[in-house]
Amino acid sequence: MNDASSAPIIQLRQVVKRFKTAAGEYIGLRGVDVDIMAGQFVAIVGKSGSGKSTMLNMITGIDHPTSGEVLVNGVNIYKITENERSLWRGQNLGIVFQFFQLLPMLTLLENTMLPMDYCNAFSPLERPERAMELLKMVGLQEQAHKLPAAVSSGQQQAAAIARALATDPPIIVADEPTGNLDSRSSEEIIELFNQLVVQGKTIILVTHDPSITKRTTRTLIISDGKIIDETVAKALPLLNHTQMLKVTQLLEYKQMPAGATIIHKGEHIDYFFMIARGEVEVVLQPPKRSELTLAHLGEGEFFGEVELVHGGDSIASVRATPDSPVQLVALHRKDFTEMLVGSPLTEESISRIVQARLAENRAADRRGRWW
Amino acid sequence: MDKLFSSSSSRPANNHRLLIQLSQVVKVYKTAAGDFPALRGITADIYAGEFVGVIGKSGAGKTTLLNMITGADMISSGEVIFNAPDGKNTSIHNLSENSLAVWRGCNVGIIHQSFQLLPMLSLVENIMLPVDFSGNYKRRFSKERAIELLKLVELEDHAYKLPAYISGGQKQRVAIARSLANDPPIIVADEPTGSLDTLTAETIFEIFEKLIEQGRTIIMVTHDNNLSPRFTRRLHIADGIITADSGFHLVSIQEQ
Repeated sequence: MNDASSAPIIQLRQVVKRFKTAAGEYIGLRGVDVDIMAGQFVAIVGKSGSGKSTMLNMITGIDHPTSGEVLVNGVNIYKITENERSLWRGQNLGIVFQFFQLLPMLTLLENTMLPMDYCNAFSPLERPERAMELLKMVGLQEQAHKLPAAVSSGQQQAAAIARALATDPPIIVADEPTGNLDSRSSEEIIELFNQLVVQGKTIILVTHDPSITKRTTRTLIISDGKIIDETVAKALPLLNHTQMLKVTQLLEYKQMPAGATIIHKGEHIDYFFMIARGEVEVVLQPPKRSELTLAHLGEGEFFGEVELVHGGDSIASVRATPDSPVQLVALHRKDFTEMLVGSPLTEESISRIVQARLAENRAADRRGRWW
Repeated sequence: MDKLFSSSSSRPANNHRLLIQLSQVVKVYKTAAGDFPALRGITADIYAGEFVGVIGKSGAGKTTLLNMITGADMISSGEVIFNAPDGKNTSIHNLSENSLAVWRGCNVGIIHQSFQLLPMLSLVENIMLPVDFSGNYKRRFSKERAIELLKLVELEDHAYKLPAYISGGQKQRVAIARSLANDPPIIVADEPTGSLDTLTAETIFEIFEKLIEQGRTIIMVTHDNNLSPRFTRRLHIADGIITADSGFHLVSIQEQ
């Protein structure tokens, strides 16, 4: 993964986008905050109309936010002129579209050369050679002199990726890149993206395709113009997007230093804790005996549910591991209860975990007494 | 508008000149599962000023036929002959790759269902781009001319907007303006109204009809049989052959 100390390559700060339509005002984004680190492979998912493509358009500068800031590679992209942004885009972003957007009158090679010509990148003599190398990389060497109409949809999209790479940008942005392809062509396109990530490119794509989200390093879910907390999405995957968003808006954020105790055994608990970053240890400390570690929990796992479901006091202590601090997101008891009422699937899955953890706890407790 | 297209004044609106001859056009695709004959002998004469609808179901061979007419894809056998106004005939599949590109650049404008506009460029830049780029058939092409073309499709007020700010129908009109950049006598359009609602599709047809009145020839592919009354000529195709050809009628749009 990435060096956590380096600055994000993309930062969205309180981005709001309102659209004016004949039917009145429509809010596309309602305050989006996101940091994307260099080298990440990020999928943006969400229902149709949730704001996915709008968010992508904020990053590419193809659309303008109503308020908020977008920083890409250190540049505040809405503080520069349209012309500067055009040049900035050519140098920093490669863009891939669902319907390819190849110019029908130009060959694949000519289409691939376009961004270099447009941004005046590489010398005119180098351009055809570089375009050919890129087409070779995407497996289209043989098709280089054909028109888009003469190749398959998958090949058109591969050519569009070659074109996106023409100016050697650090960031690739794609809007439903496999949305118009059969599954085999999709697989080839995803493989191309994987290779680019290995080469160090940052890739952000909007998609409906589960075969892509399986491969990305990060998934951002957007619902009703807001980003769902990534920890909630991981810890409570059985909630629907509306429920996830509601939980997101009720969260409290806590940071604990390395080794700090979060819950003491026997303490009254009023929160459901999900781990955003770091690890915790669940321990039993039998009197006069060495302590027992019941479990290590990591990102996307949770604790506190046993006590909330059973109404009792804490059955074990939970603390941050000695080597790193822990970031937690916490949901208050009443919100947790309401969430379970709204999502029977989540309730069922959590009660299975509660049963399993209680059983482990009893077994460990017995061992503790015997030893 | 007359001044916009150098050739339109010298091109009679209804000269009924034979423009394209398709003669026993066969296209076979080699696939892993064996040969697939997409076109199995298409013969038709297309006259200047016709609005030709190539109508058929998905997989019938419509797009392949367009690719044979533009020379975008190689023919397996048969001929496509283009008759220039000066009487010179060109068998386009016998041209070298370069000559074919020049021929296409001068004679054919291409329109796609999904517009194929670059979202990061303004409308006027989108129109200027392909002409700017190709050295093969470069001619003097100014921003003013690009704006004139946008005027023709009634989008001059949006010239400096990015495609994201206009509707699908407007995008298709930009694509039409772009296809006219080199003032080609032939426009080919593959399902140009396929992603538009009926009302918006109507505005596209109005532009096409205007282009026909100027003497241009349009060959449009559609799967939508309901559109067939819009064409002056209908080629129905199925399984790679023409199943019905309404034939060339001397009654033109203007006389109707």
